[in-house]
Amino acid sequence: MSTGLSENLSQDPRQRPTLVLGGKGFTEVTDTVCAVSERRKWPAIWYIAFACSLVLLGVLGACLTYLISTGIGVWGNNMPAAWGFPIVNFVFWVGIGHAGTLISAVLFLFRQKWRTSINRSAEAMTIFAVACAGIFPAVHVGRVWLAYWLFPIPNQMSMWPNFRSPLLWDVFAVSTYATVSSMFWYMGMIPDLATLRDRATGKAKQFFYGLFSLGWSGSNRHWLRFERAYLLLAALATPLVLSVHSIVSFDFAVSILPGWHTTIFPPYFVAGAIFSGFGMVMTILIPCRSAFGLQDLITTRHVENMAKVILVTGSMVGYSYTMEFFIAWYSGNLVEQFAFVNRSFGPYAWAYWTMFSCNAFIPQLFWFKKVRQTMLLAWIVSILVNVGMWFERFVIVVTSLTRDYLPSSWGMFRPTSIDFLTFLGSFGLFFTLFLLFVRFLPMVAMAEVRSVMPQAHGIVGEGHRPFGDYWPDSVHPERQRKPSPEEE
Amino acid sequence: MKKPVSGKAFWRSLEDYAEAPEFMRWAKAEFPALLEPMSPPSRRSFLRLMGASAALAGLAACRWPKETILPFSQRPEDLVPGVPQRFATAFDYGGHAQGLLVTSYDGRPIKIEGNPEHPLSRGASNSFAQASVLSLYDPDRSRVPYSGGKKSSWADFDAAFGAQTTALAASGGAGFAVLAEASSSPSRARLQAEIESAWPNARWFEYEAISRDNEREGTRLAFGKPLRPQYDFSKAELAVCLDADLLGEHPASLAHARGFAVSRRRIDEGRLGRLYAIESCYSITGAAADERFPMPSGRIPALLVAIAQGLEAAGVALPSGVLRAAVSAFPPGESLPLVATIIEDLLRHRGHGFVAVGAQHLAEAHALAFAINDALANTGHTVSYLPCPDPERVSHSTAIASLARKIEAGELTTLLVLGANPVYNAPADFDFGALLAKVGQTIHLGQYRDETAEKCLWHLPEAHYLESWGDARSWDGSVSVVQPLIEPLHGSRSALEILAGVLGRQPADGHGIVRETITGLAGDKGDKAWRRTLHDGLLAGSAPAPVHPRIDGSSVAASLASAKPKAAGDLELVFTTAPDVYDGRFANNAWLQETPDPLTKLTWDNALLVGPATADKLGVRHGELAKVEAGGRSIEAPVFIAPGQALGSIALGLGYGRTAAGRVGSGVGISAYPLRTLADAGWSSGITVTGTGQVFKLATTQDHFAIDVGGREETERRRPELVREANLEEFKRVPDFVRHRSHDIELFSLWEEFTYEGHSWGMSIDLNTCIGCNYCAVACQAENNVPVVGKEQVYNGREMAWLRVDRYYGGDPEDASIAFQPLACQQCEMAPCEEVCPASATVHDDEGLNTMVYNRCIGTRYCSNNCPYKVRRFNFFNYHKNLTELESLGMNPGVSVRSRGVMEKCTYCTQRIAQVKILAKNEGRPIEDGEITPACAQACPTQAITFGDLNDEKSRVRELHQDKRAYSLLGELNIKPRTKYLGRIKNPSSMGHTEHSSEEHH
Repeated sequence: MSTGLSENLSQDPRQRPTLVLGGKGFTEVTDTVCAVSERRKWPAIWYIAFACSLVLLGVLGACLTYLISTGIGVWGNNMPAAWGFPIVNFVFWVGIGHAGTLISAVLFLFRQKWRTSINRSAEAMTIFAVACAGIFPAVHVGRVWLAYWLFPIPNQMSMWPNFRSPLLWDVFAVSTYATVSSMFWYMGMIPDLATLRDRATGKAKQFFYGLFSLGWSGSNRHWLRFERAYLLLAALATPLVLSVHSIVSFDFAVSILPGWHTTIFPPYFVAGAIFSGFGMVMTILIPCRSAFGLQDLITTRHVENMAKVILVTGSMVGYSYTMEFFIAWYSGNLVEQFAFVNRSFGPYAWAYWTMFSCNAFIPQLFWFKKVRQTMLLAWIVSILVNVGMWFERFVIVVTSLTRDYLPSSWGMFRPTSIDFLTFLGSFGLFFTLFLLFVRFLPMVAMAEVRSVMPQAHGIVGEGHRPFGDYWPDSVHPERQRKPSPEEE
Repeated sequence: MKKPVSGKAFWRSLEDYAEAPEFMRWAKAEFPALLEPMSPPSRRSFLRLMGASAALAGLAACRWPKETILPFSQRPEDLVPGVPQRFATAFDYGGHAQGLLVTSYDGRPIKIEGNPEHPLSRGASNSFAQASVLSLYDPDRSRVPYSGGKKSSWADFDAAFGAQTTALAASGGAGFAVLAEASSSPSRARLQAEIESAWPNARWFEYEAISRDNEREGTRLAFGKPLRPQYDFSKAELAVCLDADLLGEHPASLAHARGFAVSRRRIDEGRLGRLYAIESCYSITGAAADERFPMPSGRIPALLVAIAQGLEAAGVALPSGVLRAAVSAFPPGESLPLVATIIEDLLRHRGHGFVAVGAQHLAEAHALAFAINDALANTGHTVSYLPCPDPERVSHSTAIASLARKIEAGELTTLLVLGANPVYNAPADFDFGALLAKVGQTIHLGQYRDETAEKCLWHLPEAHYLESWGDARSWDGSVSVVQPLIEPLHGSRSALEILAGVLGRQPADGHGIVRETITGLAGDKGDKAWRRTLHDGLLAGSAPAPVHPRIDGSSVAASLASAKPKAAGDLELVFTTAPDVYDGRFANNAWLQETPDPLTKLTWDNALLVGPATADKLGVRHGELAKVEAGGRSIEAPVFIAPGQALGSIALGLGYGRTAAGRVGSGVGISAYPLRTLADAGWSSGITVTGTGQVFKLATTQDHFAIDVGGREETERRRPELVREANLEEFKRVPDFVRHRSHDIELFSLWEEFTYEGHSWGMSIDLNTCIGCNYCAVACQAENNVPVVGKEQVYNGREMAWLRVDRYYGGDPEDASIAFQPLACQQCEMAPCEEVCPASATVHDDEGLNTMVYNRCIGTRYCSNNCPYKVRRFNFFNYHKNLTELESLGMNPGVSVRSRGVMEKCTYCTQRIAQVKILAKNEGRPIEDGEITPACAQACPTQAITFGDLNDEKSRVRELHQDKRAYSLLGELNIKPRTKYLGRIKNPSSMGHTEHSSEEHH
């Protein structure tokens, strides 16, 4: 039988597993989450991590300064491989930025309530990843100071961008995605910011939380509007989850390069993005939950669910890799065939097999319950997924560019130390932002978690939970009559 | 005619005005910079100089005969600022001249082309000539005289040397010697003769590290006097080149290449001659050959004897005794099937073929080849002989050896070195650095403070040929005037002026000397012949008529009997002429250093070229430093695996490893001279090579042979589709074979395509005549301000060449065939680059050009990714950042200098198109076909590149686009390139070992 409050891994069909453990009620949930940002003394590990992140951020700044003052030549890009690390990193980060919106929007629409305890941090991660991603295309252009020409800004020079270029589509896709996911993240945070405001002791905190909670009072009217808006934004963000990486894949698929010019790219990129996004969420949340005592909110079951998503998307990615080979063979296009043979057996075979093992083989370990439920193992797999997904972009960008149509123009891509440092530096930016986020903002969506707890539906303690629903249904008249969490 | 400049004085001409001392005083006060050598040159003073010299261009040629300066106060006739002018001149290196036409913008020479009037070049010019303009603006050129290693001045030198000449004159020049580089200058020969007669005790030595003296000695043996053999490819049905790179390194290579192209164009009549090349190291002649066979240089004389033997057996009578002597000197050994084929062909084409032997071979081998040509009645048809302009000269090796002896014996007190660099390139038998120290006074005249300058007491800056008067003869004996286009930038003097100074002539007037020589040669003391020569760049009728010498059989036999062929070793090291730096003198020319070797595509280095099997045997790997030992001397050089290199033969280019070439050339590559002795000037046998295990970075512009197996196999698979070749038989059977080389599918367009009302530019490149010489690439670099990026950047794959010549190997790596394919932007009609540029920086124009708008480019580099030819180049750095003002003066003002972060590529020389369009419009006439010539097409010695208007129904390019051999490279991508290639036809012998059957791709 279910052990109830301490474990929710049971697959007993008679009973829905609880999403919050430890017998926590609303107050305890609120306390647990708020405690993270309200604690007076922060653990040394946070300071160490923050210091490291700042150093890396400094490295990023130094690298970009050097780059902008000297030229693209500081990287390893060359003439067959005109795109190198920057685009690899861009696609890598954009891919990571997919999990957040997927979790908040798509899983929301699919009523996957377990999302509530991870969606906030996943969304934050999305925004920070998109910020990292945004840096690369901006600085990878030869004349950074003119990068704004990519935007259709009416100007005295009568210049207008070329709307046939996938890079331009990218500009719109990524900026739209960044905007919508930031809005979604912020909007979803308003009730929690209000909670923090109400609990804040210092003046500054009161002021800033007050400012950003936009006068939230938790009134029924507020909740009603909020829930509608959230639903709308979720509906708006859902297609973006699919469109952004599809469009990013067009950068490659629309070109005529063997190995890039394939129709499988959009779905394959989207699957890969979700795969890598969940990988990154797991990589971050597993240490966070133990560092901040959130095991009762982000439970083993959550990790297991994510592992399952990784298993599915990883298999999809593996299928895509195989299908690319099949199509190359089936098409009878010899140049295409060589592109793939060269990927797997050419000079960059090591990168290809790193990618293939990390993305298609290693996640298969998640078939085993033991691996899914052992935090350390799951964490290691998630890191390998990240590694594999970076290599996937490396393989796509570099192998196709270095050996295309004319063997006379074939070359090799050799990254420089600046390439590596810039990539490393982007992690500095990412972690700096993330550490600031956990320091000052509610890293678990308290209001949402509360709404999926049995207590929200009038059930106290363990037992049968009649409703698998939360906000969407709570707008029904009969639901509205139920006492709101605050009233209870 | 001297007149005061005050009041209402008038002058009749600018000459009068310029002569006025008042004016000169004023000019000096006004422009003090004019009096000083430009060091460092300021842009303002430079432009003033330029303006002045250009101003004078209208008066006589381009440099003021009186050698005075005028401000640009009145515009001379014919000079429109910004409109380029062209002057004929000539460039001499190694004692042979090329007739040139130099384009000058506002007094700055910026582009060198061949003189179309010159019989040898007919408008073409080689890399060295084209790149020489860069040397003019080389900031490393020496600027002031040095004395004992310290800066000095011309006045000091004149004072010091003036006193000495008086003393020398008294003793008849005892103890005085001149060591000169070879020069074809009739004026220098005249001054030399004057010095020798005025100073009977003075001695004159002439040394060149690379020379054709063996061939010259061969003619002496065969005909009793030195002659210049002339090979006529255009008439030849058959050419047998034994280690002879007639298309590449020969002084008449431009004429040979043109003749070769004529013979290849007979394919239009369904005929084709045959070129055999048997050589140790791949040359462009070998690459162009129908049959090429790798063979160590040491075995080539024996092959020649085998041919002679076979011919005699077939009834061709060689002079008596010759064959017997030859067989004993070079025992032919076992007969190759190849020899039988060659003999058969030679017999079939009596009077229409020739046999040529490479310059590194013994004089006796040359003599035997002359005898064979004579016996086959080729002489007078495909081979003719011209008299040598300097029949008395002893060979360079004899000269340098006797100079060394004289120094050793302490007979010399004063040595004047004119341009030569013996400390660097003298045979390894002598340590010239030490020898020079034994001469009391050494004076070095050179453009750079080179290795020899460092060891000499005096170093004098020598004027560049574009800034000094001179004259020169080409291989066919035609005399050209070396006409300066600019005042000496650094106040340097020419060799002629120095020699005039030796003779005590003051002022040493280069112009006067040359004019005297030319008018003397012309037999017309008046102005007319002189002006005509200046204008045409050629003294009419100066080329000597061919002589018809009789072969002296007994002399040939006697020489062969006493020939001392080298003992054959297992491994030989052949010293080759580097196509980039010659003997080392062009080492500081960055364009040349960065121009890839035509065969290996190696830049910024030389390397030990080793065949794959030889490398396996020696246990050395590609890029490994190996120690080479020969005769107790050793060097370390990197190994380069080169397919087609003869088994047991290793080649190393001369001219690298300079230590005092300048900032560009010092420390580039490895010098081969320490291994090169008098006896082993051509090759050294019995060497040992051991790998050191150390890795050396080699920067090639194209993947070398040593890539992974998969890549190599794929390259071989694609090669027949990319470079479409057929054998003559197949071509006769399937004239449109090019269509069967790829699986073309029916292509249609999703869009309505552009239509062109006016012009529609197109290009055609004939792979059948392209010899892969790279001259087009250098021309492109010069014309389009293409930056040089250096070894490290080439290694990183960032070379900027807009036009590259692709080289593909085929077949067995030991006996590989080579195909070339010049590749620049194909100006696709459905350009993939245009589609993907987010900034609309690369767009189509209404004449079909795929234009690149630099100012609009933000550098996403997406266009390059989507370019299937990868011909776009990106400015990864600001390559022009460290350009000195002097260097920037050499830039072509008609072409934008690109900034950092911008993409660039071939434009079909859009500036040249615009120039002609404007001209035609002003004159109210249509543009004629052939009037627009892009730089590459202009420089091509085989005229393989044709440019024109595809809308013009009578244009040559349109005709070529419709030729049955025409195909689009990667046409299956439906991008509709505007450049089309014409398939290459080879005519291998029935032996058929070179070319694989081409049927398989049907």
